[in-house]
This record gives sequence, C-alpha cells and structure tokens, in this order.
Amino acid sequence: MPDELMIEDLDRDGAVAEATAELKTSRSGLLRRVGLLAGGGLVAGIVPMALSRAQTSKNDVKILNYALTLEYLESAFYAEALSKGKLEGSVLNFAQVVARHEAEHVTALEAALGSAATKKPSFDFKGTTNSQKTFLSTAKVLEDTGVSAYQGQATEIDSKAILATAGSILAVEARHASWVRNIIGAGKELKPAPDVFNPALTMKQVLAAVGDTGFIKS
Amino acid sequence: MSRDIPMVDVSHLEVFDRDGALAEAADHLNHLNRRGFLRGAGAVAGGGLILGAIPARAFGQTPKGDVAILNFALTLEYLEAEFYREANKDADLDAQTDRFAKLVLQHEDAHVAALKDTLKDAAVKKPSFDFKGTTSKQSTFQATAIVLEDTGVRAYQGQAPNIKTEAVLKAAISIHPVEARHAAWIRNIVGMPPAPDTFNPADDMATVLAAVQGTGFISTASSASSGDSVSGTPAVAG
Repeated sequence: MPDELMIEDLDRDGAVAEATAELKTSRSGLLRRVGLLAGGGLVAGIVPMALSRAQTSKNDVKILNYALTLEYLESAFYAEALSKGKLEGSVLNFAQVVARHEAEHVTALEAALGSAATKKPSFDFKGTTNSQKTFLSTAKVLEDTGVSAYQGQATEIDSKAILATAGSILAVEARHASWVRNIIGAGKELKPAPDVFNPALTMKQVLAAVGDTGFIKS
Repeated sequence: MSRDIPMVDVSHLEVFDRDGALAEAADHLNHLNRRGFLRGAGAVAGGGLILGAIPARAFGQTPKGDVAILNFALTLEYLEAEFYREANKDADLDAQTDRFAKLVLQHEDAHVAALKDTLKDAAVKKPSFDFKGTTSKQSTFQATAIVLEDTGVRAYQGQAPNIKTEAVLKAAISIHPVEARHAAWIRNIVGMPPAPDTFNPADDMATVLAAVQGTGFISTASSASSGDSVSGTPAVAG
C-alpha cells in the first residue's frame, strides 16, 4: 500500500526513483526515530496546559505529533520549492497557497501540543524541488499520503474536538491533492479524485512510505 | 459565474451563511434541541421524507444518531447524484467539465449505493428533485456543482465527530475527502481557489438542511404533507 502510493508515482520520474531506491536503507532508522518521537518517551509526563485542559489522552498526543511530523515535512517541502524559484504560473500559485496552509497547520498543531510537540526534523528533499516536474509529482504523493494518513487516524482519535480539527485538515489536504492532480493531469489520465472511497493508511504504513523517501534526515 | 443564472442565485448560495433568509432558517433550526431537531429537519428538508423514515426499531446495533447521520448523508448523495445525472444529459459541457461530471456521477452513485446498502430498510426514499434549470448549461452547472460539493464537504466534516460507530465513521471519513477532491477539482476548472481555507469549515446538520432547502432543489418537500407522515415505501430492495 505505501509502496503503491509512493513508488508508483515517484517511479515515473527518473531522479526521484533513483533517490528513493538509494534511500530505502534509511527506513528502519526513520521508524526508530519517529517511534521515539511519536510514541515514546517524549510525550510521557509532559502534558501542556492546552492539552491537559482538554484532557487529551496519550493516544491523541501521539496522533497529533504524527500529524505534526507530516505537516513539518510538507511545509518544509513547499518552502524549499518556493525558495528555489523554479515554479511558475498555476504551479507557483499552488505552491504559495499550499505552503501557507501547511505552515499554518504546523503552527496550530504546535500550539495544541505545547511542550509535548515533537521537534522539527531536518529534511533532504533529494533535489525534487529543483524542477517543476519533480516538484509536482512529489507534491502529489505527499498530499495523497497526507489525506490517507489523516483518514487512517480518524477512527483512532479519542477526543471529539481533535477529531473535528483533524477533519478540517483532512479536507484541506484532499483539496490540495485534487488540485495538484488537476494541474498535472490536465488533458491526461490522472484523476483529481481517483477513488470512490478514499483509501486510508495506518500510521505504520505512512511512516514506512515516508521512510522510503529518505526526506527526513534526522 | 454568469450573469444570467435563471432561477437559483448560486453566488448567494456560495455564501449562504450570510444570506439573510437562509441564515434565519438555520438559526431557527439551531435552536431546536436534538429530538426537536430531528422533527424539524424532516419538515424542512423533505416534509417528513428526510429523517422521518427511520423505523422505530433501529437496525442492527447502529445507534439512532448514526442512522440519522447516514440518512442525512444519503439525502445529500441522492441530491448530488441526480444533479450530475441530469447535467450529463442536459448540459453541453467542455472536455474537462464533461470529464468531471461523468466521473463524479459515478462516485455519487456509488456513495448512494453504499449508504443504502448500509441502511437497508432504514434508508430514506429518494426525493424528487427540481434543479431549476441549473443543469442545462455549463456555467450554471459548474457554479452549482461547486456549491453542492463544498456543502457536502462541510456536511460530512460536521458529522464525523458525532458518529458513534467505528464502521460508520470509517465509511463517512472515506467519502469526506472524495467530496473535497470533487470540490477542489471543479473549483480549479472554473478558476476559483481550489482550497480556499487553511482549515475547512464544517456545518452542522441544521445549517446544511436549511441551505439545501434554500435551493428548492428537493421538490418533494412542497407536496409532502407534514412532519412525520412518511410514505412507507422502502427505498431499497435489498
């Protein structure tokens, strides 16, 4: 499932496929690392004010940190793509709007988590931000994965308030995914809405897929 | 979109929260408590057709609240499916709009089928619709599709935290992003911002039903007699 999501799409582009293959090895390292951040010692015992007021469960803190990690990744990807200056027209507009959204998702999740928020990792996007073509194919994968990731957690979240927030982000990620697919797919086969029922991915599947990209360095 | 939209001012629907009449209706509905709301919603949206058809014996183990939510979703999906079916027949659409209309019709039909299959004999009947000429040409089709899809996204989003059953939540949360994809797609086709908000707004059931009522698209409402007189015809064979 994660392979299908990531590789099927990235394979179309030579450079990214190469990077992906090369970085398979970092997968277990990432899993270890994210495991530590999201499920391990970091959150234990540290419940910030905002969360304790809402009586946020450990489970929900873990999910919020998982979401935050994905948003850090997306946000950094769009920021880098904009800084490279290779985008133009509708693609530039997409990147500008989505960069803002992802940065605001990060801010909101950080605020919700307070001191329980996981730290921003450092990233290496393997040159995918260097051209409009690789930017688009990578953005599509990241957004599709983001949708499936939020969707997969909806049934795991304990708090109604957090579920409502996650739902409001889920819909925005789906809009991004459809948007970039429509930009790529104009006049082609690629569908902005490829499924009758959007597939969900578990946390494990998403982390494995993210690990495969090698985008998270540390 | 277009200056000569015939019957339905979709530019107003687009911001129906701020529209006087609809806002008033929504406010009214928002005052109703949960029990009262179920009656009120039936009266508003379908003259008893919408939520009133749930049998007293809730099917299976599904809580009544979830049955109501599923029927609410089914009603919206009926509306969307029929809208796209009619547009596919009536409107002369350019290539990308045609592609959108055909694929989205398939999706909405599949959503209807899935919801009916879940609800079985608790499923509400399909109302009859009058799309007020919005399906006859591309500009009104596009503008109306944007309103319907945006509304669908807000509707599913508003209900997700209210759903009690994991299986129902799973189903709803797999449809929710598909509606969001539809919304962004048609918005991009017409050159409107595909993702206008950082956090997508949600609507509660009363607000959505008031907005749907405001369109006048559900034509059964005018002929149905009152609150809970429901024709007993089951919607689904299976």
